[in-house]
This record gives sequence, structure tokens and C-alpha cells, in this order.
Amino acid sequence: MTQSAEVPEPPRLDLGGLRRRGWTGDLTFRAILSTLTLGITVVLGVMMVESFISASPVYQKFGIIGFITGSTWAPSFTVYGAWAFIYGTFLTSLIALVIAVPVSVLIALLLTELAPARLRAPLGIAVDLLAAVPSVVYGLWGLLVLVPAMRPLEQAIAGTLGRVVPFFGPPTPGSSYFAAGVILAVMIVPIVSAVTREVFASTPRLQREAVLALGGTRWDVARTVTLPIGRAGLLAAVVLGLGRAMGETIAVTMVIGNSDNIGKSIFSPGFTLASVIANEFNEATETLHPEALIALGTVLLVMSVLVNGAAIAIRNRFTGGSRSGF
Amino acid sequence: MASDAVVVFAPTSRWRRRKANLFAFLAAFAFVLALIPLVAVFGYIFVNGIHSLLSVDFLIQDPPADLSATGGGVRNALIGTLEMTGLASLIAVPIGLAVAIFAIEVGGGLARGARFLIDVLAGLPSIVVGIFVYASVVVTQGHFSGLAGSLALAIVMLPVVTVSAEEILRLTPRPIAEGARALGLARWRAVLSVFVPIGLSGIVTGILLGVSRAIGETAPLIFTSLGNNFFTLDINQPMQALPLLIYRNALNSGFATARDRAFGAALLLIIIVFGFNLVGRWLTARRRLAGSSR
Repeated sequence: MTQSAEVPEPPRLDLGGLRRRGWTGDLTFRAILSTLTLGITVVLGVMMVESFISASPVYQKFGIIGFITGSTWAPSFTVYGAWAFIYGTFLTSLIALVIAVPVSVLIALLLTELAPARLRAPLGIAVDLLAAVPSVVYGLWGLLVLVPAMRPLEQAIAGTLGRVVPFFGPPTPGSSYFAAGVILAVMIVPIVSAVTREVFASTPRLQREAVLALGGTRWDVARTVTLPIGRAGLLAAVVLGLGRAMGETIAVTMVIGNSDNIGKSIFSPGFTLASVIANEFNEATETLHPEALIALGTVLLVMSVLVNGAAIAIRNRFTGGSRSGF
Repeated sequence: MASDAVVVFAPTSRWRRRKANLFAFLAAFAFVLALIPLVAVFGYIFVNGIHSLLSVDFLIQDPPADLSATGGGVRNALIGTLEMTGLASLIAVPIGLAVAIFAIEVGGGLARGARFLIDVLAGLPSIVVGIFVYASVVVTQGHFSGLAGSLALAIVMLPVVTVSAEEILRLTPRPIAEGARALGLARWRAVLSVFVPIGLSGIVTGILLGVSRAIGETAPLIFTSLGNNFFTLDINQPMQALPLLIYRNALNSGFATARDRAFGAALLLIIIVFGFNLVGRWLTARRRLAGSSR
């Protein structure tokens, strides 16, 4: 505006016109944006509340604690407890993490430290494509190929280690917590390795080169620079993978064997929260059965918000810290 | 640090070189191990599904009411998938872009709240999204419908679209943003005719990745569109989708006919999903290449 003193009048008039037109335009633009943003926020909020309202009869009957810790799920007797499914969710996710995390870390190191620069992008896309395969397709393959193929392995472990530790004991029908964990591992490798890769790629180049200049090998670089600096980010990736594994539904439903009871062994059939909802929902005709399944959904909702919140918090702290450190 | 380093890196010995080689071998092994399922799944589905897909009837006929019966195709599921995903995109893309632009251009409490909600949504199991829509839409309407299914898929797509669009728009080069201001452009003009066109390929990539995720979803549809065995275009009726058809037929995989139908539909679904996914990635990769050659 101060410039207009040096400029003749016409531009000044024009500027005024522009500003007024822009002003109404901006106001409309802002109104549209805020309406849509407010709208979606309200709609999502209402949907969450509606879910809790639908589940409330079950919470009233058994109590929140009672429902979560109840280990009996017997729709025909109108008894509902979520514990067997919470157990199944954690057990399968844990198996998945034990398998997927080392593999993902090694892949991330391969793609940041070892592979020729030209190959890194295509190899990375190949891993990303694992995440593009629909869950139901993994389930179909798991049901018809993976489960039968793993039965001998399960029998071998159950016949040896299982004699001493009941947790690895028989029976081994094939469909099991273990089979679900293996399928989940395949499905979370892309997310865990993608986040880990990003973390590793952001470690300072100078330090890596210094290690190489001192005569260190690639392994020394990983051991002394990449892994220690990337530790927090790696933790975020693991927690993110846990969140993903907890919520996977269809593939797990197709290989976990579907049992309402807590399986004594890792090779027993069972259920996760997500898979019991998917499996029983369309046949839920008993009293309170649909409500109880929705209540399981709210438990899963709270669990995944907590886990993902933790992952975001760790990541923010990590990126915040490294930003100020640079 | 320096004294540490001297201790750490003892003179290169055979042992140390071996350790480095072992590390490289393990990393390559992990990569191959992770890709085995991808190749195995794709190969298995391709070998078993290709003969169904090669017959035209498979695409233009509906499945039999009894899943164990022979013949029939997946027309209703294919059309249902396309219709529901299309409607979901019509809902999710404008809203997703609006939230992204709002978060960048306006900001404030509402923007933070909405972005937080989207972040929560991004990590939410899709089955929980299905329950949301069931508890609010299906219960209110009193019946399952393709509309409810579309809404669920839209909510699944929304975070993918918003997060990628916001990331891209934040990358608008500062000189260009300042140039737009200096030309006296109103903010809405600057956003719509400068920032969005610059980031267009990235935004489209986000949309295509969102679509490819929504198309493959089964879990949210179980509670919303339910699926059926007839052909319908009516968005108010229960509607079949490819993932639902695969799921139901796979559960009856004792019957060879049901199993074959599942394989054919799975191959079709993989082709569609990978198509969207790869085209989306190619758009961004192309832009990056063009950028580096300039």
C-alpha cells in the first residue's frame, strides 16, 4: 500500500477492485472449506458415538470391566466376554511382529545401505506392492496353500518342543493363531519396512561416510550409526505395525480356525476381535449378540487409537528431536 | 567419539569382512523371503483364475444362487464394486481435498481437530469403520444398502486422499506461492489455479492409491452393503462386491465350482487394484524424472 503513493491513480483503483472481488471470493471459498471440514468432523464424531450407544446394552449388562475380562462367549446363553478375543488379537499380533520386524529391518538396511542406488526405488516398490494385495486374496491363498503347507511344521514343533511346553503343544489342525500370525507378518512387512526405511534414510550422511572412511564395513555403518540413531523411529514403526496387525480382519478370519474359546497352544484355533466380528455378524440372531459384536468393535477402536496414538507420539518426538539436532 | 571409533574398527580382518558379507547376505535373504508371498500369491491366483477370466461369460453373467452349482460369473460383483467405489470417490475426494486445503490455508482449531480425526482414521481398522456406518446408517435406514457400503469405502479412502494432498500442497515452492501473492491473486484463486495444478500429479496419485485401497476392502462391506446374488444398480439395495464374492465363495471352497469362482474373481480384483496402484505410482515417478531432467 505504501507503494501506491509513487504510482499514478488508476492502478490504485484497480487494486481496490481486485481486493474487493478477492475478498468475497475468499469468503465463499473459506465458507465452503469450513463447511466440508466441520461436516466431516461432525459426521465422524456422530458415527463413533452411535457405535458406543449401540453397544451400551452390553456394557450395562456386564459392566465395562466385566465385559473386557469375561472369558466366556456363549451367545446361546446370552453370556458375552471379550477376553478370549483380546488374547487372540495380542497373540497373533505378537507372532506377526516377531517374524516381520527382523525381516523389515533387514530390508530397510538393504534399501538404504547395501543395494546399488539405481535398484533402490524399484526394489522398494516391490515391497510396497505386498501392501496392495487385498486382504481377502491373502486369505484365499492362506486358506488353500499356507495352512496345509504349515501343518507338517506345526506337527513337528508340537511333537518335540510341544511335549515340554504346552504352549507349543498339540492339537495341530492347521488353522491356528500361528497361521494367522504368519499371514499378518506378510501383511505388515510393507508398513514396518517403509517407515523404518524412511527413518534410516534420514540418518546423517556425514557420520556414515566417516565410518566408511575409518575403514568400517557396511555392517559397521549399520551397527554404529544407522541402528542407534534410528532406534526411536524403529520403535514407532513397530508400534505402527502392531496397530495394523490388530485390525486386519478378513485374511485372519480365513486362517485362524474360528473358536470362541481361548486356545491353550499357539497352534490352537481361536479368534481375534476383528475376525470374530466379521465371522459372526451376519448370523448374529441371539439376544444381544449383534450388540456384543459392536461392543467388541468399540474395544478394538479404543485399542487401535491408543496404539496408533503411541506411534504418532513416538514419531513426533523423534522427528522433533532430530530436527532441532541438525 | 574418535577414541571409540579406533577401538570399534580394528584393522580389517578376514573375520570382520566375513561379518559384513554375512550381513549383506542376510539382508538380501530377508528381501527375497518377503517377496516369496507376493510371487506365490500372484502365481497361484493367476494359474488357477486365468481360465475363468478368459471366458466372456464370467464377466457378463451373475453367479448361481447356490454357490456349489456350476456356471455363472461375477457381473453383479464387478458392477457393484465399480458403482460403490465410484460413489465413494465422489464423496471422499472433494471432502478430502477440502480438509487438506483448509488445514493449510486457514488453520486454527477446527483444522487441527479435523486433521487429528483423519490421523486417527488412518490407523483405524477398516472393520471398525464398517461398524460406524452400520450403527449410524444401516440401523437408521433399517436395511443394508450399496449406499452404506459406499459411505464406508469413502471413509476408508478419506485419510489417504487428505494426507497425500496436504503433503503435496505443503511442498508448493515458496517463490511460486510468493509470486501468486505478488500478482495480487486472491487466496482461492492462488490455491485453485496455482497450487493445486502444480501438485496435481501428486494429488491424483493419492486419490488413485485411496481408490486401490477401497476396492480391495471386504471387512467394512460385511456390515454395510452385505452382498447378494443378483444384479442390481439400485444403490438402496444390498449390493455385491468382488471382495465379498471372493470371501463367501472361499468359505465354500469345498466345492470346486465355488473355489474356481473365487480364483477368477481374485485375479480380476488383483488386476484392478494393481492397475490403480501402479498408474498412481507411475504418475509421481514420471513427475520426479521430469523434474530431475529439467
